[in-house]
Amino acid sequence: MIKGEKISSLQLSVLIMGYIFGSSAIMNPSARAKQDAWLAYIIGWIGGLCLLNIYLYISQNNPGKNLIEILKHYFGNYLGGLLGLLYIWYFIHLAALVLRNFGEFFSTNVYTDTPMSFLMLSIMTLIAYLLRKGLEVLGRFSEIFVPITFLQALIVSISLVTLFNLDNFLPVLEFGFQPIIKASFSILTFPFGEVVIFLMIFPYLHKKKTIKKVANYSFLIVGLILLTITLRDLLVLGPDMFARYHFPPGITARMFPLLDLDPLIDNNLLIGGTIKMSVCIFAAVTGITELFNLKDYKVLILPVITISIGLSIWLYEDLFQMHNWADKVYPYYAIPFQIVIPIVLFIIIFFKNRHSNN
Amino acid sequence: MINKLTRILKLLKYKNENDKKLKEEDNDQRQIPQSMAALRKALERTFYDCNDYILREIDIGDTKEQKLLITYLDGLVDKKIINDNILKPLMIELDKIDYKDSKNKKISFDKIKNKLLIVTALTEINTYKKLVDAVLAGDTVIYLPGNKRALKLSARGGNVRTVEEPTTEAVIRGPREGFTETIRTNTSLLRRKIKSPKLKFENYVLGEKTQTDVAICYIKDLANEDIINTVRKRLRKIKTDAILESGYLEEFIEDAPFSIFATVSNSEKPDIVAAKVLEGRVAILCDGTPFVLTVPHLFIETLSSADDYYSRSIYSTFVRLVRFSALIITTTLPAIYVAMVSFHQDIIPFKLLLTVSASRQGVPLSAFSETFIMLVAFEFMREAGVRMPSRFGQAVSIVGALVLGQSAVAAGIASDPIVMIVALTAVTAFVVQPLREAIPIIRFINLIAANVMGLFWMSLVLFMFIIHLVSLRSFGVPFLAPFAPFYKSDLKDSLIRFPLWAMWRRPRGLENQSRKDNEFRMKKDIKSKED
Repeated sequence: MIKGEKISSLQLSVLIMGYIFGSSAIMNPSARAKQDAWLAYIIGWIGGLCLLNIYLYISQNNPGKNLIEILKHYFGNYLGGLLGLLYIWYFIHLAALVLRNFGEFFSTNVYTDTPMSFLMLSIMTLIAYLLRKGLEVLGRFSEIFVPITFLQALIVSISLVTLFNLDNFLPVLEFGFQPIIKASFSILTFPFGEVVIFLMIFPYLHKKKTIKKVANYSFLIVGLILLTITLRDLLVLGPDMFARYHFPPGITARMFPLLDLDPLIDNNLLIGGTIKMSVCIFAAVTGITELFNLKDYKVLILPVITISIGLSIWLYEDLFQMHNWADKVYPYYAIPFQIVIPIVLFIIIFFKNRHSNN
Repeated sequence: MINKLTRILKLLKYKNENDKKLKEEDNDQRQIPQSMAALRKALERTFYDCNDYILREIDIGDTKEQKLLITYLDGLVDKKIINDNILKPLMIELDKIDYKDSKNKKISFDKIKNKLLIVTALTEINTYKKLVDAVLAGDTVIYLPGNKRALKLSARGGNVRTVEEPTTEAVIRGPREGFTETIRTNTSLLRRKIKSPKLKFENYVLGEKTQTDVAICYIKDLANEDIINTVRKRLRKIKTDAILESGYLEEFIEDAPFSIFATVSNSEKPDIVAAKVLEGRVAILCDGTPFVLTVPHLFIETLSSADDYYSRSIYSTFVRLVRFSALIITTTLPAIYVAMVSFHQDIIPFKLLLTVSASRQGVPLSAFSETFIMLVAFEFMREAGVRMPSRFGQAVSIVGALVLGQSAVAAGIASDPIVMIVALTAVTAFVVQPLREAIPIIRFINLIAANVMGLFWMSLVLFMFIIHLVSLRSFGVPFLAPFAPFYKSDLKDSLIRFPLWAMWRRPRGLENQSRKDNEFRMKKDIKSKED
């Protein structure tokens, strides 16, 4: 862990909120469940809460240690190092995925004539600047912008109240439970399970005692905001359009008569995406520093950012491949990182604790 | 190789010898010569060719044996004090007292010091350098041969500006006085506001040629020791020829020299400086300028003004919100217009779009070019307005209003909306005076970003500025303090202003850790009735 940098509980809270909000501002995996999206969402949300508390248990029993250190501690240098390497890959890959989402949204929705790589390069330059200033600056940046994001999301939701059609909820459970469970699993892995990355950030918290309260509260708040967005999109667009569009919020914002609220959504994505990608790259970079016992993580920022830009360009051919991956592959791809390894860690720590207590 | 080494050695030797010579000349410990002739010679060599330098020998007592030397710089002293309170007693009223020492019938140094001179501020000095410094600072020096000491009398005078109402930082309500160019007047203005022995002034002399008096002012036990120590350390590090204005000091002590935002604030008004010192800040006064620096300087101070605290709290909240929106408008409005017209026509309401495109009909330039040209024209006018002699004022305002406004539209170079936008941008720029140096730069960068990629790049530029702002620190205190990091109690005096009795805690960023009295105002209990 890099010494010297500390973030306050509020900063951790806004980081978690901004991170979860991130690309969920435009993409909503629960849309697959059509009119039952809200139910799928809530199930996924509760599952996410369980996962979060597993991560918190791991972190609380290893205070001041980040994920890589914990892995090395419990699995030994070789296996732990290998798992750490996999996690670093996952973080970089995650940054690349978010970057691609971001680029696809802007190049299909707003800047149709601009090459996507230029959009990616612009935002990544900003992130490089932000990360070079350190984690504290990232925390303060989120402190200012995350409340603005939520305000914008609420403004869009409230101004569309007149277009809400409550019939869009019906018929409930038309296709049975299976699609709901599938969608809720998607929601669990994206965005909620991705909080596993915060095992790299928790050690920087200034007051260690508040960690559980802060993480749970911010998780609940951002969950409520995302629920509002899901409900809004479902009620405005109707289940069919909701499930069919790539980026439902972008369309919803355009439904408002006489005025286009789209810039607010764009801005939300910009803020959330910046925070999410910054956290990912920060985690990857500090992970590499930890794994190879380096001194300064700042020299690694530019190389890792360059890798993630390249990766995000190579990831898919087009938007449809991206959606296919996000729907069908990603939930299973994320299982080892978000569920299996943390639960194994949880069990090991749990039994070690019991053993030492006895 | 050996040649090179010998050359370096020679250079070092030469440098040493040179240094030695220099040291002998300005040796700080050099004594005042004991004989009149030697001192006279030394002084005449020091003040060679200075026609404002006055050196006078007078006889004292009956005999012609004893002489006394008075020296000062003309124009820096009050001649009336010298004539009435120094020369007159020494030359005329000497006979009235028993001046002679019982032993050798001569007048003694102590008698002159304690009985004869009618001057309050009187100190003994014992080195030649201090003597010269005292003369240069405007003091009068009296020397009696046979002594290793001399007397320094403060009879400073000469022409200085009196306390007037400052032209910058105008207020509707509040004290009308402003600082002057004399540091002593300025410290007295502060002392009159804060009548506490805990108000400290620490003196520094900076600038090798100018020997400028600089004072740091703070309230003991209230200002954070870390901040005071940082100020002291940075001031001591200054090595320069000249300090002509507090702006020189600012550049030497600020945290981020290449930032467009100032991390040191300045004010011309004693009440503002006193209020800041009372909050736990440190003021730096500099001789020769009415602008007093205060540190740490936070972003939120740029949005507040002295009369916020003298008028009703709801009104001042309103005014602060007005200032904040003015700041947003003046930095982003032209950029938003360009972004909307060239990238995001679809988000402009349809009727407005019709009006805009109708007025842009026939304008040969792109939205960006015409905005850029008009903004640059405005910057020229603003700079001309500051620099030109006031008699040309009318000519420039006619040219500005007619040529750049109306006829630019008539000639088809600019469209109507752009004239309005530039006018609004210009007016709002004057609202947030403390940020006047940063605003045009932010505005132009925003404008260029808007022309490159519309709102997308504008947001990126905005993020960049915010990242820069949150990473700034002024003397250890985060620049964007009550917002990021978030201090709940400090929000009461930020974009909104609570009543004074509700702001009972001192700003948290400036807090002194060891200090107990962080609550500095009575907490008014609204519900309790008057007894």
